[in-house]
Amino acid sequence: MQQLQLTMPKDLILLLQGVAGHDRAAFDALYAATSSKLYGVILRILNRRDLADDVLQDVYVKIWDRAAAFDPAKGAAITWMATIARHTALDQVRRVTPVSIEDRPDVLEIQSDEPGPLELLQRSESAGQLRRCLDGLEAEKRELVVLAYMQGHSREELAQKFNRPVPTIKTWLHRSLAQLKDCLTR
Amino acid sequence: MTDSPTPDNGDIDALAGEYVLGTLDAAERVAVAARRQREPALNWAIEAWEQRLSPLLDLVSPVAPSAHVQAALNARLDRAAATALTAGVPGAPVSNLISLENRVRRWRRVAVAASALAASLAVTIGVRETMRPDVPNNFVAVFQKDDASPAFLLSVDLQSRNLSIRRVAADVPDGKTYQLWIASDKIGPAPKSLGLIEATDRSVQKALTVYDQSLVQQATFGVSLEPAGGSPTGKPTGPVFHAKLIPTAP
Repeated sequence: MQQLQLTMPKDLILLLQGVAGHDRAAFDALYAATSSKLYGVILRILNRRDLADDVLQDVYVKIWDRAAAFDPAKGAAITWMATIARHTALDQVRRVTPVSIEDRPDVLEIQSDEPGPLELLQRSESAGQLRRCLDGLEAEKRELVVLAYMQGHSREELAQKFNRPVPTIKTWLHRSLAQLKDCLTR
Repeated sequence: MTDSPTPDNGDIDALAGEYVLGTLDAAERVAVAARRQREPALNWAIEAWEQRLSPLLDLVSPVAPSAHVQAALNARLDRAAATALTAGVPGAPVSNLISLENRVRRWRRVAVAASALAASLAVTIGVRETMRPDVPNNFVAVFQKDDASPAFLLSVDLQSRNLSIRRVAADVPDGKTYQLWIASDKIGPAPKSLGLIEATDRSVQKALTVYDQSLVQQATFGVSLEPAGGSPTGKPTGPVFHAKLIPTAP
């Protein structure tokens, strides 16, 4: 199975098992090994360091509380952790009133020279089968899916960005997801 | 279940997919999070989408969070642990708690100092207090290749003087082996070998019973990379891993 290219997935499982036993040394090591990745995930969605800092804390408290529920048979440890990070960030970003970049230039932390998701996808060697299946989507739909996943855009934000009505975006999302699933399970 | 209409699988899958993509609004997210608790099919569909799309996480560049986040996080967990401790021991004297916290802090300082000693054997089991019933008996150390990746997990049970070490992330180069060492003023100027750490992912047990408890408490442990068969000189010859030592919860 194509998974995250984290150097040592087995270590993370061991560390998570330690965290499940409320071992602070394991927790410190886990934080050292994974916090940059999770912070990257969170910051992409929130775009604001002040919010991302708080969410990162919440995420690791959840990891501390829920580590015993991690099941290595269901997927990689980093995927499990990143899933908690994404959902915590998404819940936060949906709660917060959107802040326009023009209003708050001070809090925008993603540098403009940071490559966009599609550019990253193009460079990536590791997304494997998913990448091939994304390539099978029309360019606009591919962009839609990748932007949604990585930057946490809502249907409304995507509608603005793609200059389409919200119901169209919803249809696009559903069709693209169905096509992806079909391609991935083929 | 039988008296309710069977939900359309396509609908469930689209909803799960959108939930994972993150395109739902706040109310829909709350509703899905609640529904997945009681609808196994939806929960399963969500988990499947998490796995399907997870390769995209690989595209996210890591960004180092600032140090104050970890400090705040540790403070939060300390507070939670202190609350749990007082809750678990009704009427537990506060002074015990504070002394426990102070002791943990002291060990943290020892651990930080130890990890600075990269050039030599560097794990100090630094319990210089006399053993008391509430002093932790078990210690762990993480031997690291670098700050981001643990390489060996060492645990020591002071009571039985049993040591267990597990290789978790160290590749073994061809023709090489890892060797475990103990050093103490009481043994002499040179570290003594505790044997090779065989090339398995299982824990390797070592008995420290030839050493007395106070020596083990204060000893220094290290792991070095040696030629196959172990150090030819009886002393560490290869690069030595350093470690952070933290007592496990008492």
